[in-house]
Amino acid sequence: MSVNLGGGLRLSNPVLTASGTFGYGIEFAPFMKLNAIGGILTKGLSLLPREGNPAPRIVETPSGMLNSIGLANVGVDAFINEKLPKLKKYKTKVIANIFGETISEYTKVARKLESEKGVHALEVNISCPNVKKGGIGFGTDPREAAKVVRAVRKVTKKHMMVKLSPNVTDIKLMAKAVERAGADSISLINTIPGMVVDVNKRRPMLAMKMGGLSGPAIKPIAVRMVYEVSKVVSVPIIGIGGIMTARDALEFIIAGASAVQVGTANFVTPDASVKVVRGIEDYLMEEKIGSIKKLTGSIID
Amino acid sequence: MKNASATILYNKPLTSGYYKLGLGWKNKGVRPGHFVMLRVSGGSDPLLRRALGVYDVLRRGQGIELIYKVVGKGTTILSNMEKGECLDVLGPLGNGFKKLKTPEKLIMVAGGVGLAPFFMLAKEHAKHGAKFLMGLRTKAEAKILGDIKATGIKVLCSTDDGTLGTRGFVTDLLKKEVKKDSIVYACGPMGMLKSVAMVAKEAGACCYVSLEGAMACGIGVCLGCAVKTYGASHKPGDTTYNMVCTDGPVFNSEDILWDELG
Ligand SMILES: Cc1cc2nc3c(=O)[nH]c(=O)nc-3n(C[C@H](O)[C@H](O)[C@H](O)COP(=O)(O)O)c2cc1C
Ligand code: FES
Repeated sequence: MSVNLGGGLRLSNPVLTASGTFGYGIEFAPFMKLNAIGGILTKGLSLLPREGNPAPRIVETPSGMLNSIGLANVGVDAFINEKLPKLKKYKTKVIANIFGETISEYTKVARKLESEKGVHALEVNISCPNVKKGGIGFGTDPREAAKVVRAVRKVTKKHMMVKLSPNVTDIKLMAKAVERAGADSISLINTIPGMVVDVNKRRPMLAMKMGGLSGPAIKPIAVRMVYEVSKVVSVPIIGIGGIMTARDALEFIIAGASAVQVGTANFVTPDASVKVVRGIEDYLMEEKIGSIKKLTGSIID
Repeated sequence: MKNASATILYNKPLTSGYYKLGLGWKNKGVRPGHFVMLRVSGGSDPLLRRALGVYDVLRRGQGIELIYKVVGKGTTILSNMEKGECLDVLGPLGNGFKKLKTPEKLIMVAGGVGLAPFFMLAKEHAKHGAKFLMGLRTKAEAKILGDIKATGIKVLCSTDDGTLGTRGFVTDLLKKEVKKDSIVYACGPMGMLKSVAMVAKEAGACCYVSLEGAMACGIGVCLGCAVKTYGASHKPGDTTYNMVCTDGPVFNSEDILWDELG
């Protein structure tokens, strides 16, 4: 079940938990063995703590949910001082999800994490508006995305995963741009913008009007994007979007992913990620497939 | 705190869309104001769990009893489940109501299913002279008060249509009952809680409210159930967000920025 994602990151199995859906990891210890999964992604970390957006921040949708949390987090320093020490006793890999509103914020966060042995890799979330560029998303412009990735590459020797936003016309261009800029692996997808209207009040349900859609509703879009990206890059791909069960995860792996992240499912079933690991193991046994690597991209198309 | 499968012991309609649900679900340390999250569908629609306040602890912690009203997809599915069926229950969650030093000063105020956290408190504090105020739509709904009345606690009702008790809002009852040294505990719709908080404040009484809010995880990780609160200094500019699921659901009403609630 082990997977080598390159750049010094080897996972005991291909199942990770997605950023923002697993807290700082330790919150799930009462419900599951953290060591049973390949690794955990932290909540997105910024240079300074962030309070996040006004409420309501979430709303349920058919087979999904919208969120506009606003990247609320304790900040990178509090993460290092208060959260990370509690993860040290676990063998599972800790991947810090980072973001910024300027390139220098990204690099400052990455630098602070560089000396932390307990952080095994970075995931760079580029689906963030660039305040210096008038709010244009880093994640929607291949040149801006490449700039962020190159800048973080210069300050980190850790494995650098780059997380793509699906909010683009051609995901392949984004993937190629971040690969060229030095990404060790590419994870996708982040949430898809959406909106729900309260018909009685004739108002948006969310205080921020729009939010990011996640959950089973987005899975086919995510699988399609993983498939497309796998045709044009050579770095490993980590599939994310609506994974509730092992079979969902297997779709991504067969379509081209080397590993997966379980997100919204953690809210529904706190040990969903462990069940995904077990289910993949069973599938490999039943199908007599020797390693997960053989399954990656094995789609007959 | 755990996530475990529970067997339905009973799922009985009470009246007007209200149901009482008994679950075989071993628990320890459940207090009034705690809640649980139920997974009503094995599939993905509805996707998220439903949060319900604990109404009672059964057989010394062998199970729990909940009260719910059918309002949407999740509760409709729940109302169709039968004795012997199983569902996942996560809990106990939240902070719960504080233990009282002066229970004789307690006035509980409930609207609709907001009575859930108060049955255990009524059992405990009926003998101390605590009071229970309930807002209902109409007389037919009064059936849900059976257990609470049986504790012997003083119960006052208001109904929207005047078919039982006083016609009007439960806050009208509170205005008459509340004193400077009262301790008000309230649970119900947001509009009601806001009015209760105002009435208590005018009277100079302390007031704790149990909030409901959209929740995804129930364990403080999604940060979806945020409510804006005053910081420690209580100065206007000093505000922060608290999570209803882990910092609450019970809050001191003075800590909440009521105008910021949806
Ligand atoms: C409540 C919530 C918070 C999230 N916060 C972050 C975040 O801080 N950083 C990030 O890169 N992605 C964040 N995401 C996106 C997820 O990591 C994931 O990409 C997305 O939810 C799709 O996967 P899923 O359908 O399995 O949830 C968040 C998602 C949700 C639902
Ligand atoms: S419901 Fe997720 S943080 Fe409260």
